[in-house]
Amino acid sequence: MDAVEKANAERQRRWAKDQKIGEGTYAVVYRGREVATGRKVAIKKIKVGQFKDGLDMSAIREVKYLRELKHQNVIELLDVFSSKTNLNLVLEFLDTDLELVIKDRSLVFLPADIKSWMAMTFRGLEFCHRNFILHRDLKPNNLLIASDGQLKLADFGLARDFADPGYKMTCQVITRWYRPPELLFGCRYYSTAVDIWSVGCIFAELMLRTPYLPGESDMDQLKTTFRALGTPTEEDWPGHTKLPDYVPLGQFPKTPLRDLFTAASADCLNLLSKCLLYEPRRRISAKDALDHPYFFALPYPTHPSKLPKPIPKRTSSLPFEELDGNTEPNSTGPGVKANPPNKLKRKHSDEGMIERSKSIARKLDFSQ
Amino acid sequence: MTAELSPSTPESSTAPRATLYEASTQYRHWRYSLQQLAHTRAALNTAAVSAIREAFESDEPGSSSNVSFLSADEEHLLVKLYVGKISQLCGHFRFPEEVEATAATYMKRFYLKNTVMDWHPKNVMLTALFLATKTTNHPISLEAYTSHIPKTAPSDVLDLEFLVAQSLGFDFAVWHAHRSLWGLWLDIQSLPDAPLDDLRASYDAALKHVRASRLTDAELVYAPSQIALACLSLASPPLAVAWARSKFPAIPDPPVLAVLEPIKDMILKDGSPPEVEAVREVDRRLKLCKNPEKVVGSTAYTKKKEEAERKADEKRRRKADDIKRAMEDGDPFGSELAGRAVDDDDDDDED
Ligand SMILES: Nc1ncnc2c1ncn2[C@@H]1O[C@H](COP(=O)(O)OP(=O)(O)O)[C@@H](O)[C@H]1O
Repeated sequence: MDAVEKANAERQRRWAKDQKIGEGTYAVVYRGREVATGRKVAIKKIKVGQFKDGLDMSAIREVKYLRELKHQNVIELLDVFSSKTNLNLVLEFLDTDLELVIKDRSLVFLPADIKSWMAMTFRGLEFCHRNFILHRDLKPNNLLIASDGQLKLADFGLARDFADPGYKMTCQVITRWYRPPELLFGCRYYSTAVDIWSVGCIFAELMLRTPYLPGESDMDQLKTTFRALGTPTEEDWPGHTKLPDYVPLGQFPKTPLRDLFTAASADCLNLLSKCLLYEPRRRISAKDALDHPYFFALPYPTHPSKLPKPIPKRTSSLPFEELDGNTEPNSTGPGVKANPPNKLKRKHSDEGMIERSKSIARKLDFSQ
Repeated sequence: MTAELSPSTPESSTAPRATLYEASTQYRHWRYSLQQLAHTRAALNTAAVSAIREAFESDEPGSSSNVSFLSADEEHLLVKLYVGKISQLCGHFRFPEEVEATAATYMKRFYLKNTVMDWHPKNVMLTALFLATKTTNHPISLEAYTSHIPKTAPSDVLDLEFLVAQSLGFDFAVWHAHRSLWGLWLDIQSLPDAPLDDLRASYDAALKHVRASRLTDAELVYAPSQIALACLSLASPPLAVAWARSKFPAIPDPPVLAVLEPIKDMILKDGSPPEVEAVREVDRRLKLCKNPEKVVGSTAYTKKKEEAERKADEKRRRKADDIKRAMEDGDPFGSELAGRAVDDDDDDDED
């Protein structure tokens, strides 16, 4: 056997693959373990043979960037190995994602919780940007959450580096609702500010518990954005009418963020507004965001381990589901399904319970 | 700043950060001393010769005695020739410099894990370049790529792509000296009383040296910033000194300058393409000593394939037996079964 094959076989033996837990756009994800330690991992298996142009770009980007990035708030790629014509990425196992957390109506978010998620998001993003990497697909379901509550940026399938300034890039990135107006206007020279806009949308969504700018088409996305934040003037955003795909979309008045986010602090709205500035160059950087007074004001961010969290995602679409559920601590008994994930109330037995139960009254539901 | 957001989040990132380069896979996995390089290549070559000799013998006993295998130096010469060909191809396709530099790096790294007697550098070069277009985000369709290269089919590239990626340990990101040189260029323009015309000429000359350095082992031994400064020093020694003084004003003899001489020597000595005649001779001998297990149709190749199939069969049978036994034990999801390390069969595929 070649040295390369041998090394691969050795790596492969370190990991045990258990059952399938999900399917992504270009991969199947399995639950697995590190054989030596029993550490739980996720194994993302990417079929290689199926592409006529060989290794697929998303897989290449994901591997390329995750091999280089090691940070508490970026998903860790533990290993890569091949099996036949498959590429296997061994990733740290993450229980849930921010989208599931946001959608779980039984969970109550405190301002300190939101601050904690935002701090972790900005930390992970600052690290990417410091490494000259743009994520380009930030959205709640790409912010995964570990069992200890740490939030991790994941899914680097659209990432790219920007060390080469002025290189033309595609504007067809970022899921629509989180896509900044410069991309919607076809801007091909952009930078870290695109990710910041996405984070701004996520920030707003954490407060609203529903997507902030849910456009129905690219055109509608711009309208939705302008309706929420006002149509930009030349002063707000110099030169935007010269962008390749610019179209006038009518005049929408600026409404103060305060009108929608009634319960938010002034610091909070100030940071939010800086993430959602039209002029990309004026938008706050991840580094400056971390220095923003919002993060230093009371209430302090919730410790990650104390953040609200649905019970861990369960395997679905597998014939052995119930059986498998028996091994879960939350299972209610043989053959009986545990409560659907979204029904578990946030535990009030945490320390700080008294403050918490008091503050339930000021439940942060800005949409009402 | 990022560290202490609050008393409740004390974790991580307080530790002093290593430089970004020092955290890179390039720094962690692909740096060697000159001795290590020589040793690695010699060991690879020795192992290859003995494995191939064995393959010859199993093909036809006694057949290896007259074969003149390549030496490590000869292998290296051939690789160097094909590294040089990358820039010709890149010129043809008008690929950006980053693609070219990345492909050259991939080639060199590949042959620190493989021997040319197993994998001929021509197809490895074509594959490394194709892979580099993708990893640097300048993809081109395989069809368009191979149709511009004589006598090359998509399968020539596709068949090796995975092997190349694997040999690289999937470390796709590369730090390049030409990038560092660009940084130096920006710095030197703001040096006091720098004559701009001379600067431009020096930069251009330095860039030529950077390109020459791609034919050498420099990037496997030195940091990109060191190579870039050495190249600037080759173009204009005073400029390199002026830059170093401006960066380290407190130190009379900035240590960055101390390391430059061996790099400069290496670039001047090894930075030109090998003599075609010498390489032709090596290539001719390679035809006679390449691994028959990698030559489709040879007895050794067939034998190896059969062996692999037999093993796969056995594994499938074992797995079926395991399941049968587990069923009989009344435990269809026996822990033993679930707990087995990932193997290379894909019976668990849903598609
Ligand atoms: N690190 C992980 N830990 C646990 N589950 C994961 C992990 N990564 C992915 N998954 C699961 O696999 C599914 C598909 O993942 P992925 O391929 O990343 O999705 P997508 O292509 O939709 O972004 C996810 O929805 C999730 O359920």
